[in-house]
Parts: sequence; C-alpha cells; structure tokens
Amino acid sequence: MSEKTTTASAAMRLPASMRLYSETTVAVVIFVLLAALPLLVSGYSIYILPQYLLYGMLAMSLGILWGFTGILSFGQAAFFALGAYAMGLAAKWGVTGNPAYVGLLASLVVGAGLAAVVGYFLFSVGVRDVYFVLVTLALSIMVEQITVSQSQITGGYNGMFVPRFSLSFGVGPELDLSSDAAIYYVILPVVAAVYFLLRWLLKCPMGKVLVGIRENEDRVISLGFNTSLFKTAAFALSGAIACLAGALYGVHANFVSPSLAGVLFSTEVVVWVAIGGRESLLGALFGAVGVSALSNYLTAVIPEYWQLVVGIIFVVVIVGFKGGLAGAIGRAFGGEARNGGRE
Amino acid sequence: MSELLRTEALTKRFRGLVANDNVDFTLDAGAVRCVIGPNGAGKTTFISMISGHLTPTAGRLWFKGREITALSVARRAKMGIARKFQTPSVFDRLTVDDNLELAALGKPVSASERRASIEEVLEITRLRDVRRVVASALSHGQRQWLEVGMLLANRAELLLLDEPTAGMTAEETSATGELIRMLADSRNLSIIIIEHDINFIRDLKAPVTVLHLGRVLVNGSFEEVAENEQVRNVYLGHE
Repeated sequence: MSEKTTTASAAMRLPASMRLYSETTVAVVIFVLLAALPLLVSGYSIYILPQYLLYGMLAMSLGILWGFTGILSFGQAAFFALGAYAMGLAAKWGVTGNPAYVGLLASLVVGAGLAAVVGYFLFSVGVRDVYFVLVTLALSIMVEQITVSQSQITGGYNGMFVPRFSLSFGVGPELDLSSDAAIYYVILPVVAAVYFLLRWLLKCPMGKVLVGIRENEDRVISLGFNTSLFKTAAFALSGAIACLAGALYGVHANFVSPSLAGVLFSTEVVVWVAIGGRESLLGALFGAVGVSALSNYLTAVIPEYWQLVVGIIFVVVIVGFKGGLAGAIGRAFGGEARNGGRE
Repeated sequence: MSELLRTEALTKRFRGLVANDNVDFTLDAGAVRCVIGPNGAGKTTFISMISGHLTPTAGRLWFKGREITALSVARRAKMGIARKFQTPSVFDRLTVDDNLELAALGKPVSASERRASIEEVLEITRLRDVRRVVASALSHGQRQWLEVGMLLANRAELLLLDEPTAGMTAEETSATGELIRMLADSRNLSIIIIEHDINFIRDLKAPVTVLHLGRVLVNGSFEEVAENEQVRNVYLGHE
C-alpha cells in the first residue's frame, strides 16, 4: 500500500523457484558424485559411507517432522531400532518368501503404524510442543527396555545378528549384499529416492499445509484444516522412513542391539539435524553424514575429547547460525534460508 | 434475503464473569453488520463463539440452516465461516502468494480454479506488487488486507472481522470500508465487523448491533444507534 514498504520489500523478494532449483542441482551433483565414488576409492570409506547415509536418512525423517512441520521428536532412534529388529526377526523366523523383502515391508508397516497410532492419540487431544517431546523420549526408552527384557526374541543386551541378505529381482541372478560395493549401490539410491520423494512432497499441497502448521497452526485450523490428521500423517511418514533406514542399517551393520533405540542416539539425531539445518533436507542429510564422519575421525585421533569437540560445534552452530549450516550457506549465496525466512 | 447465521440465547460465562448473556442474533446472506460496544462488552467473545474458538456455556447457533453449536473451528471453517483475528494472523515467513495458496487449499477446488482465485484476490487486496514478499515484511495495513485476502481465497461465506482497520492510516481505513462494501454487494458475502472507529462505522452505512455487558443493547442503523439515549450513556458518551 505505501510506496516505501513496496520498494523496501522488493529487495527482499525471494526468487523461490530459483532457490529450489539450485538446491535440487546441488543434491543431484552430490548424489552423482557419491555414485561415482566406489570407482575411485575402495576400502573403509566405501564400507562406512552407507552407514552415514542411513544416519542421514534418519536425520531427514526428523527434518520433515521438526524442520517442516514444527514437531520435535526425541524418538527417532526407537523407529530406527525397530526397523533393524524387523530385519533380524525376518531372518531369524525364516519367514516365507525373501526375508529381506518381508523385513523391509514389515519395517515400513511397523514404523508408519506405530507413529500413526501414537501420533493420532496425542495430536487429536492437542498434545503439543514439549509434551510431545517428552512422549517421544519415553517411546525411545520403552523400545530400548522392551528389546532388553524380551531377550528370548531380541537377544537382549547381546543384540541380534542381521544377515546381509541376497536380493532377488524375479529375473537374473541374485544380488549378494555381502560385498561393500553391492550394499553401497543399494543404500545410496534408496537414500536419494527418499530425499527426492520428500522434496516432491513438500511442493505438494500436503507439504504446504505442514509448513503452515509449523508457521501458525491456529491459522491453519481456522482455514478449515484438520491439523491433527496432517500432523499424524507427517509423524507416520517420519516413522516409516526412520524404520526403513534402520532396517537397511541392520543389514549393513550385520547387527542390532538395544542401545540403537536409546535416548542417547535419539539425541544425536536431533544434534545432526540442528547442525545441518533443520529447514533443509539436504542440511539434515549431510549434517548427519558430516557429524558422524567427524565423530568417527575424532574418536580415533582424540578419544578423550571428541564428544567435547562435537558439543562445541553444536553450541557454536546453534548460537551463531540460526537455521544451521544449510541456513548459513543459503544466506551466503544471496538467498535467505529455505522457505524464505529467518528465525 | 435468506438467513445465514442465527444465534439463540448465546451465553458465555468465564467463572463469575458473564461475557455474553442470552445473545439472539441473525444475519442474512450478503449482509454487513457492525458489532460495537465499550471494552469488555463481549464483542470478541461473541465472534469467537461463532468461529468456534470458544464454546458457549448455553445457547445454540445455526449456520446455513444447520446447527453448528458442537462443531470444531476447522469444521465451521470448512462450512464457510472464516475469521480475521484482532492481531493479523498470517504466515509471517511465507510469501503473500504462499499465504493465499495455503488458504485456497482449505477448500477442495481444482488447481486452476485455485490459481484463478489467488489472482483475483491479489487484485482485490492490491497485493499483486508484493506477491513474492514475505508477510513479515509487509506494512501493518497490508498484513490486515492479506488476512482478509486469505479468507477470500479460502472461499468463506461469512467473514468475521475483528477490528480490521486497527493500526491503519486514514486512507487505508477508507479503502478497507470500500473493500467490505464491495465484498458484500458484488460477491454476496456476509460480514460481521467489530470496530471502534466511529467514522468508519458511519461511512459503512451498515446496521449496527450494540453490545453492553454481554447483552444486546440495541440494533439499528448507525443514526438510530447514535441517537439512542442508552447507547450515548454507555458508549458514545465516553468517547
């Protein structure tokens, strides 16, 4: 309406499509480079990278929930562990069909189902914010305790062996996942697919409603949306992705134990996402990859102090870069952080 | 004109305080009504019970012939009741376009219809030039209009406007008056407005309901109300 604000805000105009395009470009380049990596290097990096990428997938499952819907969860590790146990049990019980596929499907169903049930009961009675955090925290503790106490099924503290399955494709030879390169080329496309699926979802009406809930839930309700259903759907999606990541992790690591469900690991996921930038899926993904790689390196170099170093980085990023590293990078390249905003 | 909204003996008590006391109220489709009254008269309580943000202690409401007393805010919004809050409630970090699109998504229409209605709303609310600006960077008046625009994009049939001209310049206030008249006359929207600005209410030439201590003191045209002895005592006299 007034001349002054119009011109002032022209400078703040956000070429939203351009920024989205550029994040997609960055993502494509990174995934292509990752796909080429086993041709250039081999050994430990190729062994360990899929594990970091699965941590990244777990971080994206929190990113969609915390960064885009505004719901913080300290229960992501619970879903991750359940996925790994689903794979272990599918192998142990010798289910009919290919146990790998049964396990993967089961992990998706368990993850989505558990999150949907918990989410529906909490959201429909208006549980929000810190109360939701506490319940998800309890979820982590419960899953950890159950996996300890039901040792005849789960192996208790000793954990459970998860085989590196062979994948059959109906035609052609089976793909044996015991080689590092083979499992690398299974996990990388899954992580990339999840990334692009979530990016696509965020451009859909559902994604826009989720961002609206993050920004101003009361306004979204007053526009006629049943926000508890949307939040339940977001949590279910998040649970399914976390569970699927855990299923693949179990196969990759050959092993799952109760600590994978614990509060400590759940907290780590929150730290990855906060450092990487919760309003960017790429930030969450590579926050997880970067922090885990750094932690791994530091445990070898300075075993007594590595946690201190990670802690300091966490504090510096939280205090200095709102929106995490992704937000800082976004601002450095002219645009603002994703979705046009500062905190 | 057909009846759009009716309240019957609508009552709201907050512990000892009676905020609304047996309010009977009807509004026709395409009608504009100003609700005025001194601070604490129960104006915001009244529209909160219409929007569903407050549940009445007693009494009932009907919208388009259907009882809505027990319906949630979201259900009422789906039926066409939309509210503009006293302090603009928009999505601060989203652009004007994204704000309107999210509002438009509240009703099941095709994507092309949605885009068309957003363009129309941008025109009506004069926000086209700032469509890619985030809402937090708009002037206060523009934010007020954006929120009204969101109700339009949301295809509301009954607009509840809680102090739509608060914080506006004289020029913006009179433009808002024209906007409200246009929405009622050419788009057949029903509008309930809570206002304090007496000049604005006079210029609107709409029927006025005066609330006092939670009760309807008088209904009538601005002139009738302005000359009413009781009203002068409780309200205009204190101006």
